[in-house]
Amino acid sequence: MSEYKVNVTNLKKNYGANHVLKGIDFKVANNEVVVLIGPSGSGKSTLLRCLNKLEEPTSGSIVIDGQDISLSSTNIDKARENIGMVFQHFNLFNNMTVGENIMLAPIELGKSSKDEAKKQAKDLLETVGLSEKFDAMPSSLSGGQKQRVAIARALAMNPDVMLFDEPTSALDPEMVGDVLEVMKDLAKKGMTMVVVTHEMGFAKEVADRVVFMADGRVMEEGKPDQVFDHPQNERTKAFLDKVINV
Amino acid sequence: MKKFIVWFSLVFGFAFIATVGQPTQQVEASEKTYTIATDVTFPPFVYANSNNKYVGIDMELIKAVAKKEGFKVEIKPIGFNAAIQAVQSGQVDGMIAGMSITTERKKTFDFSNPYYSSGIVMAVKKGSKVTSLKQLKGKTVAIKTGTSGADYANSIKKKYGFKTVTFDDSDSVYDDVKTGNAVACFDDSAVLQYGVKTGLGLKIVTKPTDTGNYGFAVRKGHNQVLLNKFNKGLKALKKDGTYAKIIEKYTGKKAVSAQKKSSENSSDSYTMLALLKQNKSAFISGIEETLWLTIVGILFATIFGILIGLLGVVPSKIAQGLSTTIIYIFRGLPLIVLALFIYNGIPSLTGTKVPAFVAGIITLTLNEGAYIGAFVKGGIEAVDSGQMEAARSLGLPFSKSMRKVVLPQGIKIMIPSFVNQFIITLKDTSILSVIGILELTQTGKIIIARNLQGFRIWAIVAVIYLLMITVLTLLSKWIERRIKN
Repeated sequence: MSEYKVNVTNLKKNYGANHVLKGIDFKVANNEVVVLIGPSGSGKSTLLRCLNKLEEPTSGSIVIDGQDISLSSTNIDKARENIGMVFQHFNLFNNMTVGENIMLAPIELGKSSKDEAKKQAKDLLETVGLSEKFDAMPSSLSGGQKQRVAIARALAMNPDVMLFDEPTSALDPEMVGDVLEVMKDLAKKGMTMVVVTHEMGFAKEVADRVVFMADGRVMEEGKPDQVFDHPQNERTKAFLDKVINV
Repeated sequence: MKKFIVWFSLVFGFAFIATVGQPTQQVEASEKTYTIATDVTFPPFVYANSNNKYVGIDMELIKAVAKKEGFKVEIKPIGFNAAIQAVQSGQVDGMIAGMSITTERKKTFDFSNPYYSSGIVMAVKKGSKVTSLKQLKGKTVAIKTGTSGADYANSIKKKYGFKTVTFDDSDSVYDDVKTGNAVACFDDSAVLQYGVKTGLGLKIVTKPTDTGNYGFAVRKGHNQVLLNKFNKGLKALKKDGTYAKIIEKYTGKKAVSAQKKSSENSSDSYTMLALLKQNKSAFISGIEETLWLTIVGILFATIFGILIGLLGVVPSKIAQGLSTTIIYIFRGLPLIVLALFIYNGIPSLTGTKVPAFVAGIITLTLNEGAYIGAFVKGGIEAVDSGQMEAARSLGLPFSKSMRKVVLPQGIKIMIPSFVNQFIITLKDTSILSVIGILELTQTGKIIIARNLQGFRIWAIVAVIYLLMITVLTLLSKWIERRIKN
């Protein structure tokens, strides 16, 4: 086993002539919360999506829990069971109730019986503060509620790592707090998390480490205070100036 | 993805066995049965009587020969032109349809000894002023595809300066003259004389040409045994007087006047209701055939279409290319071309017969299936890609994600298109009348061939189609509601 939960080496991703990731080295330790920040187009979402192979890397290795998922011999479905993902647009299954959304994967993949899955789903809904929504359809929920269900759904597989792809960007401002609260709780419980976000407050408060990306490279990384208060790289300074209301 | 391929081959294997396997058994089961194609209507040589049984000189002759020579015949009234193609492709063993022996036809057919002599005459509407070929200048003349009447008309049309309009059956030819669209028609004298006598509403204005011996025909170089049997049988029938009896039965004064009387009498009772009653059994079997074609066709087309559609969204370039190509080809081909190609084209290449019903089902499966494939693919693609990503990110394999998450949402999008396609399939079965399937449209044609009540019969057929489509629509709507809730 690797000492790191996530260990990315020299990761490159091209879309034709467009080089989105230009050789990324990126590590996440056990129980660590890493926040990826940077201007749009910097490649942070692409990096995140490579971590569970929703994007096929062009080259480089991605080792999660000691397993190199960039190899085609790796069973990616099996690997994904341990990597939870939360999307910007929630992506709740529209054809299922909230409860069914959460229970689908554990039941289909034989992780738990129907009764177990149901109990677990109810517990998870309670932790995200939505216990009364078990039978609701996703279309009846607010954005913030949808995102909390999406988090519960990802947690239902008991993942080792949680990936968050701008989880609050599509939310009305008053909904953001509830979602961040759930994520903070998760961090406190020791979940290993990689979060792409523009919520600098969250980054400052929760992150163990902040990684600043620009132009497909990691420009700077360090503890939140260090990066936010004493940025070394010019690009980091320029970016932080623009999002000054931290 | 592997599962899809297994599924694909399983269903296809099944479909193949179900459609092709069955009829082969039937063919093998009966010994020494020859399939003989004939025209839909060509009285007095071949036509359906009021019980929708095929009768006429040709029918009685071939049956008498068969009895004499000890073989069985299966008659396929598929129309003259279709019969010619069916013989050429080997779909049938021979044809007898008041077919004139010509040097042109001898290149591709072997003919029996002549069994009847007839020449070509010109007929015009009763009361028409046209009495000679010279008066045809600049006018239109109606002819029937592939007949020697048509050949004759084409051979003289430059000389006399007239145009021709072509139909597939004799009634359409006569109707065209009666309505005045065409001023005249050319057909065999025996046929036109019989028609005139029995109240067709036309009159003959020229003397018969001296060409025109009718023969039984087989594909050149094939079925020589059958041809010899026919010649032998014909000789025997002429000798023992059966031949003369048959000819007398259909062209004698008694026969003609009886036929005339019956058509005059019944013309009073040609109300919609009376027509429905008279042809009840014919309509019912036509409806049954149409429904069978529709149901089996929809079933196979849906399976085929869903597979093609799914193939189009599998993450593999080869699968997607295959799907696109199949949709491109079978959506691009006119249904009628596809039907004729499968029924007549393929057998002439491979030498194996394809039963008409099977050919019809294959046609519907490929054509309607291609349309279904296109909207299944479109329906799946219309589901937000985030749904698939979310399912995959949980560790669900592609096929499971597709089945549990994407398809249920895609199907909702597809349902209206399905309903639409089912209705189109029902209507499209009418096109299969070209390969001689006795479905509702072909039934209508045949009934009209007998009673000449074109307007009323087509109106009845139209109403029956509308009724069937109404039922199908209601059924689909009911299923649609069930699925949506």
